[in-house]
Amino acid sequence: MTHLLEARGVSKTYGPTRVLSAVNFTLDRGESVAVIGENGAGKSTFAKIITGVIRPDEGAITLGGTPVSFHSPRDALRHGMAFIPQELAYCPHLTVAENILLGQWPGAFGLTSPARVLARAAEECRRLGIALDVRRPMAGMKLADRQIVEIVKALTRRARLIVLDEPTASLSEQESRALFDILGRLAKDGVGVIYISHRMDEVYRFSDRVDVLRNGELVASVAPSKTSPAQLIAYMLGQEKEDFIHAPAQASGGEDAVIELRGWSRDGLPPLTDVSLRVGHREVVGLYGLRGCGADLVAEGLAGLHPEIRGELALIGKPGKPFPTPLAARRANVAFVPAERKRDGLVLILSVQSNLSLLILRLLTRLGVILSGQERSVAAELAQRFDVRFSRLSQAVATLSGGNQQKVLLASRLARQPTLLVLQEPTRGVDVGARVEIHRFLGQIAQQGCATLMVTSDLEEAVNVSDRLLIMREGRLVGELAGASKTQANAIALAAGG
Amino acid sequence: MTLSAKGTTAAAGAPSAQPSAQRARILRAGFQYFGIGAFYLVILVAFAFSTQHFFSYSNALNILTNVSVIGIVALGQTLAIVSGGFDLSVSGVVPLGAVSFALLTNAGIGAPLAILIVIGIGALVDLINGLIVTQVGINPLITTLGTLSITAGLAYTLSRGVTIPFVDLDVGILAERPFAGISYYVMAFLALAIVISLMLRYTVFGRMIYAVGGNREASRLAGIRVDSLTILIYVICSALAAFAGVVVASQLLAGAPTVGVEAALTSIAAVILGGASLTGGLGGVGGTLIGVLVLGTIANGMALMMVPAFYQQIATGLILLLAVGFGRLRAVFTGE
Repeated sequence: MTHLLEARGVSKTYGPTRVLSAVNFTLDRGESVAVIGENGAGKSTFAKIITGVIRPDEGAITLGGTPVSFHSPRDALRHGMAFIPQELAYCPHLTVAENILLGQWPGAFGLTSPARVLARAAEECRRLGIALDVRRPMAGMKLADRQIVEIVKALTRRARLIVLDEPTASLSEQESRALFDILGRLAKDGVGVIYISHRMDEVYRFSDRVDVLRNGELVASVAPSKTSPAQLIAYMLGQEKEDFIHAPAQASGGEDAVIELRGWSRDGLPPLTDVSLRVGHREVVGLYGLRGCGADLVAEGLAGLHPEIRGELALIGKPGKPFPTPLAARRANVAFVPAERKRDGLVLILSVQSNLSLLILRLLTRLGVILSGQERSVAAELAQRFDVRFSRLSQAVATLSGGNQQKVLLASRLARQPTLLVLQEPTRGVDVGARVEIHRFLGQIAQQGCATLMVTSDLEEAVNVSDRLLIMREGRLVGELAGASKTQANAIALAAGG
Repeated sequence: MTLSAKGTTAAAGAPSAQPSAQRARILRAGFQYFGIGAFYLVILVAFAFSTQHFFSYSNALNILTNVSVIGIVALGQTLAIVSGGFDLSVSGVVPLGAVSFALLTNAGIGAPLAILIVIGIGALVDLINGLIVTQVGINPLITTLGTLSITAGLAYTLSRGVTIPFVDLDVGILAERPFAGISYYVMAFLALAIVISLMLRYTVFGRMIYAVGGNREASRLAGIRVDSLTILIYVICSALAAFAGVVVASQLLAGAPTVGVEAALTSIAAVILGGASLTGGLGGVGGTLIGVLVLGTIANGMALMMVPAFYQQIATGLILLLAVGFGRLRAVFTGE
């Protein structure tokens, strides 16, 4: 029998990294397959390749037995294949109906009318059994409903196969359920569904089959009823390494907490519910969780970006409220290294020197005038201490490699010894060498007395670099791992709720 | 370990693309800066050979005198553009400044005090601009377009639509030429250029203007008070425009609501010619001065060649498009 979709030997390489290697995959009509894997296992790349967003280096894809090669998502859609990405693209000011029928308005000779668009969109929703108010503007819809609009949009274009990339990451429990109900109905009608996830509970609730990716390879393909969460986690992680457990350097944080969060809560998505934690002198505390777990909010809250967070924040014993502004956080000597270094961290068109001195510039002045000799020597010293490789201090940061940019960012935040260092994804998108160095710097900084809170979605980093590892899920702290219990398997099991 | 293939594959593909785009932008700006300097030399030589009186001290002074008003406005505009915004309201503030100065001095207020009051009025206008842009969150185009219309209207209302001649001609003191034919306002223009250039280069305030223009969000996260800085920049920009209005009035010995209406577009053109980018973070006083001189010299040279004034406008537009387009073309040819 011909499969609805068959991918043979699909491979993709980015620079030196092989993201997918020879993946074979099949999907039948009405089948729902969950694709799981750790961050960086190649899930999103896989989804984008089979839907034509990016093209594979090698391999063939057949749809209903005919070989296809997609040139664009539009091309893939014409073949009946729809991709619902994490970041939805839509026209916020148009109505739901306009969005559903975007580009294929009903009518003739280039003429259409709002009434016809509304009627046609409403009819499509009725046909699919989905309740949506198609007259509302898209911008006024909740995220969950916007995803459903995307699904309806795909199905009005007669999609036979829908690929969703972590659609529930930012949805509430109820909204996720509603989404799965719809997907379940579609599967009964013969639509194939591929579902990228890393949440165990969903895999069990929804899929006919689970495919596990690890380092770009398909390592398992099983029915959920024939396996266990523990087994799936083992597939995701592969063989455990010998030197897996990293003894805590100087576990502390008990009495002399540098910083203590009590009852941090926030409504909205993602929510925070009663998060309390403390970080001690010389301690590196890791905070790990899956997308949408709220760990980023904790870091950003400490940087003064979320004044709406309720709860308390005690700094060196002094009770207070969460910082209302970034300036307040900086005045309290909290250094924040944001995840998006290019967007939120560095001023790319300014020089290495200007970026290194940006936060301490006032200390290098007399009567408001920058003492350029001092600025240069401080910048040179920082660059050397953090091993930033560049040719001139006046070189624009944009011209450095990702790893060196990240070191500049880190160095600029550590130009003055902070009381608390908050890091988000400290090694995202940097080369392996820089990663090792940055991890070493974090150890040194902690030794000098700094308290460090590291938010990361990189499991290996979370486990190996932290002294204590806290796990978050759906806005709550769900566990603390230290010593022998601090393993990748434990961390992902807690994070995925398996 | 598969770092570059993180959950967000978008981030994996992007790093290589973005820095090179940024690099191209920097290259382009640098090229434009030198390119426009070279271009200026070319037109100097061309005019020197094609017209008789061009290459003389008195004509050089002429050019400098003629560009002073727009030059002073362009200095303020440089700050606004480098910080990632721009200010159209200068086109209303210049005539408002000119009219207010005439009215104030005619009412018997001494010139120095009147100048200060006019600058204060200008500062107030852009305090409002700055507050609207940062606190209400309306973008600078719409905000300053609104205040442009209001201030231009005010200039007409205050003057009842007619030119107001100075009663006491001595208040036009700025136009006096105490030294080698150089007037006080030319000196003021050059002094302001030097002060603002040093400020941009050597002060924390100046560095922050570049940082905010280069990456507003990163600057905010770094604890820079982005909003106060933006307001202050607008205030300086408009105070300079009001001062330019005083200069125009002193030149004409009268305040007219029709003067300086082209200030916004010409000053923005000059700053962009000088290598600044409308997205912010690039540019400087040196480039702006060259930009101003290019525009002034072409106007002067064409006038000496008896080309009708309307053609000058066409030439200005062509040069702006050519200069900026040339930088882009080069970027296209060098790939990226």
